[in-house]
Amino acid sequence: MIATLLSLLLRAVVVLAGTAVLTFALLWNAPGDPAQAIAMARFDALLTEDVIDQVREEVGLNANFWGAFVDWVGPLLVLDFGNSAVTGRPVWPDLWVSITYTFPLALAGLAIGLVISLPLAILATQHPGRLLDRFAVAIASLGTAIPAFWLGLLLILLFAVQLDWLPAMGARTPAHAILPALTLGLGVAASLTRIIRSGILEARGQQFLPALSRRGVSPKAIGRDHVAPHAAVPVVTVVGLELAFLLEGLVVVEVIFGRPGLGTFLTSAILDRDFPHVQAVVVLTALVFVSVNLIVDVIYRQIDPRIGERDA
Amino acid sequence: MRSVAVLGGAIFLFVLVGPFLAPHDPTAINIPERLSPPGEEFLLGTDALGRDILSRLLHGARWSLGLAFLVSLIGLIIGTVIGLVAALGGKLADWAVMRTTDTFLAFPEIVAAVVIAGLMGAGTWNLIFALSVTGWMRYARVARGIGLSLQSRGYVIQAKLAGLSPWYIARWHYLPSLLPSLTVVWTGMFARAILGISTLGFLGFGVQPPMPEWGTMLLDARIHMRSTPFQMIWPGLAVVTSVLAINLAGDALRDALADEGNHS
Amino acid sequence: MLKIDQVSVRRGSSVALEDISLSIPHAKTLAVVGESGAGKSTLIAAILGLIKPWKGKITWAGAAVSSCRPALVMQEPRSAFNPVLSLRRSVLEPISAQGTSVPGERIKRLCDGLELSAEILDRRPSEVSIGQAQRVGILRALIAAPPLVLFDEPLSALDAVTQKHTAKLITDLRSEEGFAALIVTHDIGYAVAHADEIAVLKSGRIEEVATARSFAASPQSSYGQTLRDAAISLGALDTAA
Repeated sequence: MIATLLSLLLRAVVVLAGTAVLTFALLWNAPGDPAQAIAMARFDALLTEDVIDQVREEVGLNANFWGAFVDWVGPLLVLDFGNSAVTGRPVWPDLWVSITYTFPLALAGLAIGLVISLPLAILATQHPGRLLDRFAVAIASLGTAIPAFWLGLLLILLFAVQLDWLPAMGARTPAHAILPALTLGLGVAASLTRIIRSGILEARGQQFLPALSRRGVSPKAIGRDHVAPHAAVPVVTVVGLELAFLLEGLVVVEVIFGRPGLGTFLTSAILDRDFPHVQAVVVLTALVFVSVNLIVDVIYRQIDPRIGERDA
Repeated sequence: MRSVAVLGGAIFLFVLVGPFLAPHDPTAINIPERLSPPGEEFLLGTDALGRDILSRLLHGARWSLGLAFLVSLIGLIIGTVIGLVAALGGKLADWAVMRTTDTFLAFPEIVAAVVIAGLMGAGTWNLIFALSVTGWMRYARVARGIGLSLQSRGYVIQAKLAGLSPWYIARWHYLPSLLPSLTVVWTGMFARAILGISTLGFLGFGVQPPMPEWGTMLLDARIHMRSTPFQMIWPGLAVVTSVLAINLAGDALRDALADEGNHS
Repeated sequence: MLKIDQVSVRRGSSVALEDISLSIPHAKTLAVVGESGAGKSTLIAAILGLIKPWKGKITWAGAAVSSCRPALVMQEPRSAFNPVLSLRRSVLEPISAQGTSVPGERIKRLCDGLELSAEILDRRPSEVSIGQAQRVGILRALIAAPPLVLFDEPLSALDAVTQKHTAKLITDLRSEEGFAALIVTHDIGYAVAHADEIAVLKSGRIEEVATARSFAASPQSSYGQTLRDAAISLGALDTAA
């Protein structure tokens, strides 16, 4: 077990290192002179070569690729994200403010998704193939086909423009969070309904369950020892999958509803060519993503030891 | 397989013929007629520059569906080659490929595409690059998984004994077994690419105006949401319909293949 | 000639073959007999270089075995062919790999020897009988005239009548083509009737090596004795031979 954990950990480190190289290669190869872009953003258009060179020196854009990579990755290893190339302020406090907006929104989206999908999937699987089940499947298929940004726009159109019940733009009051959370939650609900539904159907279809109850194993024991582990595998998978879905949805939702958060932070950093901001979000996301997947992998192996043998 | 063939044909036809059915020039600016409601002259109305929305939708298929088709096909080719290298290239190649795949998967695909397309600069080529680079991993995993299971097949051992090149073995002994599963993956990735292209277009990192890509159209429409909400309906509906149709065809194909597997 | 020199093979933590030494001269046939699990298939895989021996060396005329492009006839005839390709394509693979031209006359001669009509080669593996598929498998093995051919239980998937017939075809072709053959089988009667020498394999070790005639008359090892007696009692071995 210790050996497995260590190899998983090593794998995660390799993946993170790869992500770092890819990210830096992208920043390095991004077109245009980043020094000029940064200087323009900082001093408007009144530029002399001296100013650009000064900026270049300051931001450390002179070295060769691997030299620059080492310079770049060193501070990141201790989670020092440096200063913004545009404002000159440290990245971390601004990033933290964004997280405080994004994290509750993500949680709310996940909660809405669960509140809708769990009862829907359980009710639907009472009678597979019947009307309610077909309805659930149809709604879920439709839900996964709707792009988050369009759903958000439709909700704004209905609840903010036509009915004037809810505010659409900004993040001043808790009411401002309702439409963004709903947009996110409906998307999550669609994909969760599909996964939970097939998870329940699969767990129920296990051949050994009737045999166990014939042998006099109590229903409680069957549920605890056999159904729960079987149902747990898809649930654990979902955590990994939904995280990606949430992050993708968040970027779009925050932009549509004009909410300050990681998504807005990222898109405006890209538009401003504020590389320290971009890389901070990228590194943070990769770190969270790889950590969650590492934990998922470990739990997987706890539930079902066969998984380790399948992919060596 | 037939449902996918029919779907592919329908999309191809729509992309090919659609623009010829357009009653107006999709980029012709006509200020006096701007923001007209749907009517006889403009069946779905006009946008803020007086361009016919129906014509833009029909031409937009070429961008939204055509580019998604291209991107998912590039991903299919890259991913299959990489997966086969892992399956055929021995332990070291396999390890390297799998860790590379994990690295590319260490980031939500659309977010990665936004970062790549955004940093490289908005434009169609950068969009294609960004979505292809972030869209090959599923194919690679499937190709590798099936490829490894084929290694112990009699005919693969025979081909190796005969001294055939890995390229020949991959082409004639691996690819035919991979194609059905890869087609299922492809339908899913095609749908994802449509969503990706429209999302990037909407965020301003994708196809640029005045090209009538559906996501880009929604970006325009959003500004005039209060005065002319109908503008926002059509491009979104086009995206949803396409994605839904492709997903349903993919589900049907997967079920058909599962049935075939059960019978043989 | 094929020389297997003190070869041991490990599978995981267990030893699959231990200290095996065997040799097959040009144009001779060695039969390796033993129960399933004795390590016969592992031996074939080691000779073909599909698995690496842990100790020892396997050579053909002093060089690596792969240099002589050995051929293999498999136990399961159908799975030895790609289901979506025509049999002709599969049969021609050993030739196309070497980039040489297709000797039409040779194919015809081999087909005649194997009693295959040329038309069968245009079918898919699923469209021929098991016996036909196995003969096509032999055709593919011989097409490029390899000096060494390995047979992994070549008859076990066939019915009794086809077995006899196919065994005779293999022996006739062997004397005609003059290749060295290693036949792995659990059928003592077949081994005695068609091989020059017999090696008895048990739990990864060689129990004895003897000429077919002396093995049939009096096996040296007790395990060889058991195998022979079982074959006689089943009527699979004609003691008069």
